[in-house]
Amino acid sequence: MRLFSNGVLACALVLAGCESGSHSSANKGNGGGPRYRIAVIPKGTTHEFWRAVHAGAAQAADKLGDTEIIWKGSQLESDREGQIAVVQSFITQHVSGICLAPNDSQALVEYVDQAVQEKIPVVIFDSGLKDESKIVTYVATDNYNGGVIAARRMGEVLKGQGNAILLRYFPGSESTERREQGFLETLQKEFPKIDVISSDQYSGTTPEESLTKATQVLNKYKKEVNGLFAVCEPNASGCLGALEQTELDGKICFIAFDPNAALIRGLESKKVQGIVLQDPVKMGYEAVMSMHKHLQGEKVPKRIDTGSTVATPENISEPHIQQLLKPAQYQE
Amino acid sequence: MSEPLPPPPFGKLRLVWWLWHLIARLGPLFALLLVIAVFAVADHWKNGENSQFFTAGNARTVSATVATVFVAALGMTVVIIAGGIDLSAGTAQSLSATVLAWGLMRAAFSSSNPWGAIALALGTGALCGLVNGALIGWLRVVPFIVTLGTMRAYLGFGNALAKETTLRPDTATQVPQWLQNWLSVRADALYFGFPLGVWVALVLALLMAGLLRFTVFGRHVFALGSNETAARLCGINVPGMKMAVYSLAGLFFGIAGLYQFSRLSVGQPTSGLGVELKVIAAVVIGGASLNGGRGSILGTLAGAGIMCVIDSGCTQLGLSNPVQDIVLGAVIVSAVAIDQIRQHRMDARI
Repeated sequence: MRLFSNGVLACALVLAGCESGSHSSANKGNGGGPRYRIAVIPKGTTHEFWRAVHAGAAQAADKLGDTEIIWKGSQLESDREGQIAVVQSFITQHVSGICLAPNDSQALVEYVDQAVQEKIPVVIFDSGLKDESKIVTYVATDNYNGGVIAARRMGEVLKGQGNAILLRYFPGSESTERREQGFLETLQKEFPKIDVISSDQYSGTTPEESLTKATQVLNKYKKEVNGLFAVCEPNASGCLGALEQTELDGKICFIAFDPNAALIRGLESKKVQGIVLQDPVKMGYEAVMSMHKHLQGEKVPKRIDTGSTVATPENISEPHIQQLLKPAQYQE
Repeated sequence: MSEPLPPPPFGKLRLVWWLWHLIARLGPLFALLLVIAVFAVADHWKNGENSQFFTAGNARTVSATVATVFVAALGMTVVIIAGGIDLSAGTAQSLSATVLAWGLMRAAFSSSNPWGAIALALGTGALCGLVNGALIGWLRVVPFIVTLGTMRAYLGFGNALAKETTLRPDTATQVPQWLQNWLSVRADALYFGFPLGVWVALVLALLMAGLLRFTVFGRHVFALGSNETAARLCGINVPGMKMAVYSLAGLFFGIAGLYQFSRLSVGQPTSGLGVELKVIAAVVIGGASLNGGRGSILGTLAGAGIMCVIDSGCTQLGLSNPVQDIVLGAVIVSAVAIDQIRQHRMDARI
């Protein structure tokens, strides 16, 4: 038993060490601690996208001065249980408000209700919730429109003809489902000569999984395929790798959603014909700002669109595209 | 830890003997209390007046979070004591949850009478276990390999049933209210301070502990895990026992599936991936031996509790995910290492 207690004490010391470090990231208000503590819960923590959202949220907190943000999410975007535990934990802590990017549109409804019942207002960002009656506002890219832009770009590159593949992301993720819907409906309406030859495959949540899946799909349709749309960043990274492995890179029109370093290099070398860009920094910023407004008793619109544009090999050097391609990343 | 005790000595030594065994038995529980104490102190030190870690509200939240893993871990405890392992626990659990969601969406089972759907879900869990047990018992393939295979297969069955999407029964009409409240910490869903599901989990734990301790089946489980050859020579039907053990575990994974569904209100076959490792970790932190023959329900309770308390505590302290994982990893390894050392000492003493 003595050994056991020593072990746990050692853990306590580790905790204490880390704990003093975490103080520095808090934004202290003018004397006597922050007035508002706002929990910001992303879908996952490993994608670059969320680091940009974090940067935006931190910018808002810096600007406001009286607000501290607490950034915490489950590590895997598919971990619904993990996210629920985080939300409940913040309810227990009685934070001033919760900004949440739900990783399931239905599973989180109950827990948002619980927060509201405990008088903790909730702002939803990035991905929608099935029941939006109780939330303050929904801050997000109009994902349907993102899919529409992707379809138009593909139509433009393929000159309105060819075979397209849509690689879906993960069942139950509202934001990507809207993109998929926007893409498919626009192709059907505006480019009737583009056939969608595969739209039923889910790539999974990690680049490794989607590399495997995309390679399989591309091998199957190697001869017919002219265009490929990957609906989010981890998915697109995997697809780019798969295009290289099947030696289709540069030969077909590849449209990605959300940038990362590899995809931007792909855009420069014309292996990628388009990347639909959201504005994650603005999303994090607006989520915290609108929560703050609500806490101050001001009115907030029910829906805040943070916009989307498409980067192409032609417009890549324009400054506003550059800013969206390489959004600010949160630094400790 | 739950082996039959050697007869107590007489006279003054008797008290010392009882105390020693009590401490040995409660070891993991002390560890849980220690982890709680460490976080309570750290939280009070950091958050002062606002600290919420050591409150009834947080105890409720943690208990609701841990219940699913704990129920699955009850099944896993039996398997591990019997010298086996079940890697399909997670996907069997989410397959059962998916079956439940599927059942509730059928008109045949209205929300006023969901028992058919629930029986189907629990039956699915038990059937998953039966398949594992049959393959392990009769084909004599090692459990690690068999369940590694069935883990993928059950994921596949789940995905086939859900047509590779998420099954979403309508919470207003298709899911009975009591099932939605099963692990809810809303004030109107509590009985004696905790949600119904938590109480049921504790009752299940008591039943399981009784089964292991007081029945012939329980003694056979320990015998099988301690020495399979000896068990066979003593006349125990080893393949039959294995089927029974894995089926029983499967039933508990099915019940865990019901718990999972009540929390998520959706059926998603992939949500069980990785759960098996949490479940195994809970059992092992609780002092069970992966070599079989040793393990206890109380230990499993403590093991599951420790992991969940660390998660909760780290969030309350505002620690980042990497730190949280490192702490959890350190606790798993040290808990098992220390238990090992303690066990050697005890063996030396006897």
